[in-house]
Amino acid sequence: MQSRTATRWIELLQLMSMFAIWVFVLGISAWILYLVRLSHRWNDVPSASVGISIVAIPVFVTGAAVLTYVFVGLRRGATPNPGDGEE
Amino acid sequence: MTSFTNNPGTTPPVDSNFEDAVLLRSVEHPGSQLKVIITLLGMVILGCWVLFGRQILYGLGVTGLNQPVAWGFYIVNFVFFIGISHAGTLISAILRLADAEWRRPITRMAEVITVIVLGIGGVHPLLDQGRPDRMLNIFTSGRLQSPLLWDVTSITAYLMASTVYLFIPMIPDIALLRDRGARPRWLYEFLAWGWQGTPRQHHVIERAMGIMMVLVIPIAVSVHTVISYIFAMTLQPGWHSTIFGPYFVVGAIFSGIAALLVVMIALRKAFGLHDYLKEIHFAHLSKLLLIMSLIWFYFTFSEYLTAFFGNEPSEMRVFHYKFSGPYAPFFWGMVVCNFVIPVLILSFKRTRKIPGILVASILIVIGMWLERLNIVVPSLANPRLPVSTGFYIPSLVEWGMFAGAMATFVLGFVLFSRFFPLICVWEMKEGREKALQETVKRVKSYLPDTSSSQTTVPNSGG
Amino acid sequence: MARWGMTIDLDRCTGCGGCMSACHQENNLASADLEESERNSRPFHWLRLLPEFSGTYPDVTLRYLPQPCFHCDNPPCIKVCPVGATYLGEEGIVGQIYARCIGCRYCMAACPYMAKVFNWYEPEWRGDLKKRANPDVSLRNKGVVEKCTLCHHRIIRAREKARLEGKAMRDGDVTTACQDSCPARAIQFGDLDNSESRVASLSQNSRAFGVHDDLGTRPKVLYLAETRDGTSLDPGGS
Repeated sequence: MQSRTATRWIELLQLMSMFAIWVFVLGISAWILYLVRLSHRWNDVPSASVGISIVAIPVFVTGAAVLTYVFVGLRRGATPNPGDGEE
Repeated sequence: MTSFTNNPGTTPPVDSNFEDAVLLRSVEHPGSQLKVIITLLGMVILGCWVLFGRQILYGLGVTGLNQPVAWGFYIVNFVFFIGISHAGTLISAILRLADAEWRRPITRMAEVITVIVLGIGGVHPLLDQGRPDRMLNIFTSGRLQSPLLWDVTSITAYLMASTVYLFIPMIPDIALLRDRGARPRWLYEFLAWGWQGTPRQHHVIERAMGIMMVLVIPIAVSVHTVISYIFAMTLQPGWHSTIFGPYFVVGAIFSGIAALLVVMIALRKAFGLHDYLKEIHFAHLSKLLLIMSLIWFYFTFSEYLTAFFGNEPSEMRVFHYKFSGPYAPFFWGMVVCNFVIPVLILSFKRTRKIPGILVASILIVIGMWLERLNIVVPSLANPRLPVSTGFYIPSLVEWGMFAGAMATFVLGFVLFSRFFPLICVWEMKEGREKALQETVKRVKSYLPDTSSSQTTVPNSGG
Repeated sequence: MARWGMTIDLDRCTGCGGCMSACHQENNLASADLEESERNSRPFHWLRLLPEFSGTYPDVTLRYLPQPCFHCDNPPCIKVCPVGATYLGEEGIVGQIYARCIGCRYCMAACPYMAKVFNWYEPEWRGDLKKRANPDVSLRNKGVVEKCTLCHHRIIRAREKARLEGKAMRDGDVTTACQDSCPARAIQFGDLDNSESRVASLSQNSRAFGVHDDLGTRPKVLYLAETRDGTSLDPGGS
């Protein structure tokens, strides 16, 4: 038996974890872009950095997007229940 | 027979309407030996970190590294563990893509191997750094032009992708545990993401798995290719070879399948999974292993024949160091462990049984570790300049960290089995209920459409 | 913009090791432990004397190649550094930023000349050597890579001096410590792009060669090969 407040806490934690995943992915993307900028400033083979960023950033974003799709999709696909969490 | 799931002498009540209850035994009825094992492993790991404290305190001088052999065990183990990661996700993804029905009990274990091993392997470059306190310099002044940073990027991407790929198919099983009241309650509620088993939800995760299994394959291939580039992008003899990219990927898949087989055999024994991991599963995987052994040998042969035929002085020094010099025992040991014995065991049906497969797989894991050693040290020990040949004798700290890495691997599995089922329960159920009909439909679609192929198929039911 | 380089005349070099000694003192190199250097194969020199044997017994000849970092124009080491701690400066010197180095030793693995050394332990200076350290050169600590800098600190000093005096830098204003100490005057340092400098003309000498320049590293420290009959073909005379 799960109380309503416990369910709410769990949902909040789940939402925060999704948020954290996006922070992680956007953080990595920002870091990669920062390194591209550095390589431009130092004129240190910028083409290599740009190439890597073009491949790497979409991969990370896709991973987070798939997780988000599952998260949202599972919520949407659930049948609305009376709210006490029991099966 | 089982050691981690029962208190000796008692049998848990069988859930009469739930066939696969045995798969949940490791979670619902963990044995008392579990705590002992976790404590023992924890002590080994703690001991290794204490040893490592010497390195933090005094510097890398406590290792056996020197000039010219500036890289040793830490880098060897880095490549080795990341190589094993190809087992999991790659095999699981490829088998799912190929709709191979025999993958069902294997995928979860494979995916867990990948995540654990990526964590262990990913830490090793940090162990190797002279100034680990400056690790953040990679963020403030990193250079994406360096193969080491290609590594950081692709391993992070692979870790993320394989965690996602492990987690999404776990959701229905986590929900099952949640509904059966597994403790701690909040953990399963949290991770189950509101799963109820509705058709729409099934559709969502199947689609997500479809995307991930395609995405994960190029990422996995890139990971070990990029690791090989750490060596191939230098000018050192024995390293600067165009074959390294594919060679490392093949070696990784090879060592990965062998590690997967060892894990499968061990867990089968420990948790009593004989009904799920049957001889046929091992037969299929071991045939794959045999093929990989032959492919590995082909690449190795190519690599060394090219060096030998060219007869370039620097290359030949490295060649002789491996073939007939100080590293001959490791080199020929590698060939025997990776090719000679496994091919002999796996080629014949009589020996391709579980005991033989276990022997072959363990030898291959050892042989592939030797391969990493044979790649890293000889090229460094034989520099181009006319200096005396280098040597490398690993120290206690390095052996200790190796032992700690292995202990961490085992501990990871033990902990995973305590909280989650090692075999995907809902996929086994799906295999029973739907896969038979779908397979019949598929085979029928391959055959010409005549009236005789219109016969009905008995409904297999759930 | 200068392009600093060096030539080492093997006809003149006697293998005395004075250059090694001078380099140690000039650049505050840590005192080497005999057991570490010999038994554990961790020699610690920025400039080392590489013994080279040729011929077969009994006609064996031995010569010593004084070997600093070659400051290649296409250095394999800078390409692989993950944090940019080693870099190719505008004047051709391959520099090392000790504060940035994370000690991954990738540059050491990539250098075909083994020019880089690593601080395996916390460096020590025996006796009161530390009190007599050269104030122009920073002290390194454990876990970082270091190497010959072609006495970059002397270049900076000379440039400052020339600026204060309102003059341009001339050939001979800057000398490296090894060059200063060499009794046979085998080492010549200067601006390769300055057509009037001695090093520029020496580097064009037919005897000049770079070690393993077939690798495409374009080293800027060149050797002048020994002549057979002992007469030096050095047109610059010095």
